[in-house]
Amino acid sequence: MNRIFAIITGLFLIIFSGNVQSQDLDALLNAETKPTVDFATATFKSTRIINGHSVEQMKKNQLEFRISHRFGTLNNGPYGLFGLDQSVIHFSLEYGLKDWLMVGAGRGSTNKTYDGFAKVRLLRQSSGEKFMPVHLSYFTSLELITLKFPARPAGTSNYFSSRLAYVSQLLIARKFNQNLSVQITPTYIHRNLVKTELDQNDIFALGGGARYKLSKRLSVNAEYFYTYNPNAKFLEPRTYNACSVGVDIETGGHVFQIMLTNSQGMREGSFIPQTTGNWLDGDIHLGFNISRVFAFNKK
Amino acid sequence: MLGASLGAIGQGKFISKNAYISFYSSTPLEDILGESNEAVTILNAETGEIAFQALMTTFHFKRALMEEHFNENYMESTKFPKAKFNGKIEGYNSSMLNGPVSDIKVTGILSVHGVEKTLTIPAKLGLEDGKLVGSSKFKVTPENYGIKIPSLVRDKIGKEMEVTVKAYYAPFGQ
Repeated sequence: MNRIFAIITGLFLIIFSGNVQSQDLDALLNAETKPTVDFATATFKSTRIINGHSVEQMKKNQLEFRISHRFGTLNNGPYGLFGLDQSVIHFSLEYGLKDWLMVGAGRGSTNKTYDGFAKVRLLRQSSGEKFMPVHLSYFTSLELITLKFPARPAGTSNYFSSRLAYVSQLLIARKFNQNLSVQITPTYIHRNLVKTELDQNDIFALGGGARYKLSKRLSVNAEYFYTYNPNAKFLEPRTYNACSVGVDIETGGHVFQIMLTNSQGMREGSFIPQTTGNWLDGDIHLGFNISRVFAFNKK
Repeated sequence: MLGASLGAIGQGKFISKNAYISFYSSTPLEDILGESNEAVTILNAETGEIAFQALMTTFHFKRALMEEHFNENYMESTKFPKAKFNGKIEGYNSSMLNGPVSDIKVTGILSVHGVEKTLTIPAKLGLEDGKLVGSSKFKVTPENYGIKIPSLVRDKIGKEMEVTVKAYYAPFGQ
């Protein structure tokens, strides 16, 4: 009985090993490789498309130092060196607490504004084992204007809360292919205090942005914020929708973004409701963002 | 029973689903280290054939930006998701699997970034604490695999990458 069993086992092994041998090792490996979820990465090169946030996050333990400038308007002509005589600055430190959560704090010279923000990734575009058509993130920020209050009539007072503005955005983006990524950005901004009774405290806007890669390290970007309830046209200064075009240039640890825009402010609370430049009048600001990333990973 | 235990070593196949692969380059400006612990490999104990596959997206780096550039700019991971090696141990005999770790040579085709090159690489194979282990260290030149490194970052990325491989094998199908 034992002998018969051994023979059968032996025969079985020979047949079995013969079968396996005829299979290609590559095919075996393919079968052993788990199906993966392929996330769309590098939808944009930077955490900003131009002025507004993109769905990109600082990854965990990565710190970014950003400096942005917007010069005066090109229609200053040669006397003002096409706006270069004047510039506003915004700088910030931005950090990834988790791969899906980043926070940042900055200061802009427009209205001497301090700001703090958080951006949370809710969904990631993916294919393969799990299909998700878009990236979805939520962005929120608080802006604190520290410009001195103008003199008030006697008997009235200023409040700290008057200096605050709140921004909420949904960032919805899709990387259509290696080169083209598109984002739409529904935006709500609340300003506690506005200039006159006719100015809007609550602003509703829809942003649209896209990038197209010309090469691995160069892309062209465009961005537009349409405001549903802008200030009345007769209010001075008149406001316009923010519109920007630019290029991203990547050089290892840096990304340079160079743009033309009709906004001089660099925070949502300023460039969305308070863009006073009109492209058609040549109120176009040259500007750039520079960022440097530092890694604080243990390993 | 006798047949089965004989089958464990000396015949059949061995697999590792979490083999280690890294590549390293060092320049005065920057050290670059990418590591994956998710490569899969099979060794055919009867023929001495050996195969590796690694998904490019399983390589991780200290700097998130390096990882992004690795996938986006250099390896083009959506176009070429896998690196592969298919080779054969030179002068193979099954005793190589039963003895202590010793030097061997493997000749085969390395496929990276859609480019195939025939290589002969030095490796080690044998038992370490009763486990079958294979390892190797060799150099590759990215330019040979159609991976262009722009002059701007040329000083930060070494001309050659040192590749390190280590796999602990277990009998296939167990």
